[in-house]
Amino acid sequence: MITTDFEYYCAQSITEAVDLFKQLSDSGIRPLFYNGGTEIITLMRINSFYTHVNAVIDIKRIPECSVLEMDEHDYLVIGASVPLAEIEENMAFPLLSKNCSRIADHTSREKITLGGNVCGHIKYKEAILPLLLTNSTLVIADEKGLHEVFIQDIFDKEIILEPGSFIVQFKIEKEFLSMPYINKKMTKIDRIGYPLITVSAIQMKKEIRFAFSGLCETPFYSYEIDDILNNEENSIRKRINAAIKQIPEPILDDIEGSASYRKFVLSNTLEEIMMKLNGGGGNEAIS
Amino acid sequence: MKLELKKVYNYHKKEMIKVLLIQQMGCLNLIGKSIPRREGKNKVTGTAKYTADYSTPGQLYAVLVTSPHAHAKIKSIDITKATKCAGVQAVVTGKDYPVLTGSAVEDRPVLAIEKVRYFGEPVAIVVANSEYEAEKACSYVQVEYELLPVLHSVEESFTGKNALIHESFHLYTKPKKLKPIPERNVANHVTVRKGDFHKGKHISDVLVKTNVSLPQSDHAAMETRSVKAEILPTGEVHIESSSQAPFDIQQMVSKHFNIDTNKVIVHTPFVGGAFGGKAAIQLEFIAYIASKSTGGKPIKLTHSRENDMISSPVHIGMDSDVKLGATNDGKLTMLEMTFKFDSGAYVDESSDITTTAALNCTGPYKVDHVWCDAYCVYTNHPYATSFRGYGHGELAFAIERALDKLAEKLQMDPMELRIKNAIKPGDTTPSQAKLTKGNIGNTKACLERIKKLIDWDEGDVVPVSNNVIRAKGISGLWKTSMSPTDASSGAIITLNKDGSMNLNVGVVEIGQGTKTTLIQILATSMQVDESKIHMKMDVNTESSPEHWKTVASTAVYMAGNAVVEAAEDVKRQLKNNASYKLRCKPEDLEVGESRVYLKSDPQKHVNVQSVVRGYKYNNGNTAGNMVIGRGGFVMNQLTNMDLKTGKAFPGPAWTVGAQAVEVEFNTRTFFYTITKAVSVLDAGVIFNPKGARGQVTGAMSMGLSWASREGFYFNQNGNIINNQFRTYKTLRFDEQPEYIVDFVNTEQLDGPYGARGVGEHGIIGMPAALANSLSKAANTSLNHLPLIPEFIWSKKKEETP
Repeated sequence: MITTDFEYYCAQSITEAVDLFKQLSDSGIRPLFYNGGTEIITLMRINSFYTHVNAVIDIKRIPECSVLEMDEHDYLVIGASVPLAEIEENMAFPLLSKNCSRIADHTSREKITLGGNVCGHIKYKEAILPLLLTNSTLVIADEKGLHEVFIQDIFDKEIILEPGSFIVQFKIEKEFLSMPYINKKMTKIDRIGYPLITVSAIQMKKEIRFAFSGLCETPFYSYEIDDILNNEENSIRKRINAAIKQIPEPILDDIEGSASYRKFVLSNTLEEIMMKLNGGGGNEAIS
Repeated sequence: MKLELKKVYNYHKKEMIKVLLIQQMGCLNLIGKSIPRREGKNKVTGTAKYTADYSTPGQLYAVLVTSPHAHAKIKSIDITKATKCAGVQAVVTGKDYPVLTGSAVEDRPVLAIEKVRYFGEPVAIVVANSEYEAEKACSYVQVEYELLPVLHSVEESFTGKNALIHESFHLYTKPKKLKPIPERNVANHVTVRKGDFHKGKHISDVLVKTNVSLPQSDHAAMETRSVKAEILPTGEVHIESSSQAPFDIQQMVSKHFNIDTNKVIVHTPFVGGAFGGKAAIQLEFIAYIASKSTGGKPIKLTHSRENDMISSPVHIGMDSDVKLGATNDGKLTMLEMTFKFDSGAYVDESSDITTTAALNCTGPYKVDHVWCDAYCVYTNHPYATSFRGYGHGELAFAIERALDKLAEKLQMDPMELRIKNAIKPGDTTPSQAKLTKGNIGNTKACLERIKKLIDWDEGDVVPVSNNVIRAKGISGLWKTSMSPTDASSGAIITLNKDGSMNLNVGVVEIGQGTKTTLIQILATSMQVDESKIHMKMDVNTESSPEHWKTVASTAVYMAGNAVVEAAEDVKRQLKNNASYKLRCKPEDLEVGESRVYLKSDPQKHVNVQSVVRGYKYNNGNTAGNMVIGRGGFVMNQLTNMDLKTGKAFPGPAWTVGAQAVEVEFNTRTFFYTITKAVSVLDAGVIFNPKGARGQVTGAMSMGLSWASREGFYFNQNGNIINNQFRTYKTLRFDEQPEYIVDFVNTEQLDGPYGARGVGEHGIIGMPAALANSLSKAANTSLNHLPLIPEFIWSKKKEETP
């Protein structure tokens, strides 16, 4: 049960949402943009996070936040409020669909939104991996209106947003949508659960790009690791061992799995992905 | 049309009757007929009501303040701020009601007093007008703690070096006979001495040693525990509880709060899964004092999932050392075994679980020389209570892993080893109880059947594809139900004017379907269609006859026998009333198909409906009497345990069986899929085959979940960190293997129509069978639960430096 009292606002437009945030902040209330709400509700309930939130501004009703279509410039546009289950079924960007299909369980995916997953407190934020790999464009709303930015430019362990601003849409270039890919989520034991590791990989013309979640405290995409893994002078084993040494942060060591076990799983997973993609086995992604 | 004649000895009536088993013949005989659950439609449509579904006008809500520490002194509790919070009616602490409770040792305060002994222990209770106000006020209860050393494991506790969890153990009242070692945090030490241990060693050609362990885990019932309490101005205490033991609640509330038993009324509606976890009494005491502190107002206390997992009792943990000896040709010679059960902070049922495991430590195998020491050890973990299988799944894990190791050492087929040593009538149990045709089923037949069903001859390890192998593991199982030697049950049958019947028993419907089986037993006994019987689904101590507790797979046995006796009583009375009309002696009559008829000439009859309220002559005079049937049952022939040797007759019968698990294992990643699980149980005569299959399958699924992934994780402070289904894993629907359930039918001679209980048995061999299959697959000894891939990886890593 949530025992904290907080105000709930439902914005119908981008400007209404931004204005509401400013008004509330000015009057000393600490508002939070609210999308699917799964994280806010479940963490507030057990008093483990969001305990000081006084107000939430629901952005789900904003029309721009719910689009899922190709625009006239050949970008796939996905509104921040589109639920993961819808992305899973839509298949416009198969890597993202596959990735989203493994987040939480179906009931939760009906509620969890793309914007919510990548901006949440949860350390895994798995849906961000395909967006990082494709350096997708974020459409951000703030007091000045809308502006666009590449995700890699404002991602540093998490997406850094100014207070009062929120992501309206994600835009992915068309060329990425049909590239061979593999998304592999490994858990402690069952299909549904937090990841030991989730790896999204996409086969570019010359190289494979890799992004990781569950391995460290935050998801990441690293050019250095890509370089090492794509260095064809070395054997796959050697490349993987070298890549593991380049992991930018300490490897997670928790009840999902120890750090050394995670390394073992990562090594196997990378090997499997590289064998499949090099052998032309992308797209038929392994789950 | 298939006709089968079976002789069934109804020892309870001390007479032999013959029952025609007429299968597929329609209404008259319901043995072997899979009638749907009586309450099924109400449950699947959401109409069935559970404890938390009921609300009373003016009802208050209670929420627990729980301990954030695993072991700490309570220096002070300040409730001033909480009392002033909006809507708060009362804040109660342990000192307000300094009562110690417990079924074996009275070691547990209703709310913690002076110290807390586990993370999540109830420390105070806040009662408010609404649940959220109560919960909010909980954060204003200020408790000052002084941390004490935390005992994280049975090994640590057993040394007795770092701390004592119960300093005043010697002062506690002990309702049960125990052999404690307080200075080692041991509440009960059970010793089993059978045969001559040294002789056993002497005649052994080979000896294997193994250590197995499993952590505490959760019952994970769908319905969290919930209770309501109200004290009326007359002093009557009304408690409604999601419980397996309403009659025990009545007794214990009466005892601990000094209230006449007849003034405590306990009501139990449907229970949404219990698995042993709802046989313990905890929240009922708390709800009572919460109501008391508000002048008797109705209060409701429903656990959140998080509290349900750690504040209320859990599934016991275990550590066991096994030494098993055999001759070169595979005949078991001796068993030396040590169990250390992790009872957590309080004893509750753990002392009895310890006893049960010790008294049955061999599993269903004949061993002449047995030496077992079982300890019930306090730790700073949540306290444990009964869990489906009651120690038998734990002991099976230990003995069956040792058997596989022995088979390996002997280079003998593990199946043959088990078949060779299968226990049978004429043998004795570790507690020296003599087994007879009447009290034990056919272990060998179960093993031989499982051998076929799992296709054992294919080989226990078979390659499937690159890196993937298929492996099989087996386990034998047995279980007896240790109850008080005078555990009792009753049945009352009343008749409606149209001759239909109302059956009232004290068995709780916890999802197991017993009440449907009892309907079938009554219908069979009365020779009527089951639609003529109404079953009272809830239990109320003021109107239902006592049933000890709905535990231990004994409801069909105990209440079933009571129902048979009550039906005989009804028939006797109906015959008496009918004799006035049919002008004969009551003994000349028989009852069936809603008629009372002359045995010699069945055409001469009277309809039951004409004789349910005596028999009325044409002129209005009425003779005879109103018909009310009563039947009772008490356990008999059970004996208390000898404290030195463990000699005892602990339960009325041993149900036996065999189980197998097949896995597909990836030798590179150590991930695996459970592809098949098989059970063969000797379940005696089966009334409801689909119901029985459902029970066994459910138990198997629970066992696979327990074995493969369940268990609490504690941090360095002794706090559980996975008390949510986000992180506490259970088997999901799409991970279920193919289930095969088959039965051998050796009648339990004193069971109703030869029936045996099957509620728990499907869980017992699952951990052992899974561990045996994976140990084969991974070619390493996997002796600890849960069997997650990381554990297999770590074992393999140890072996290959």
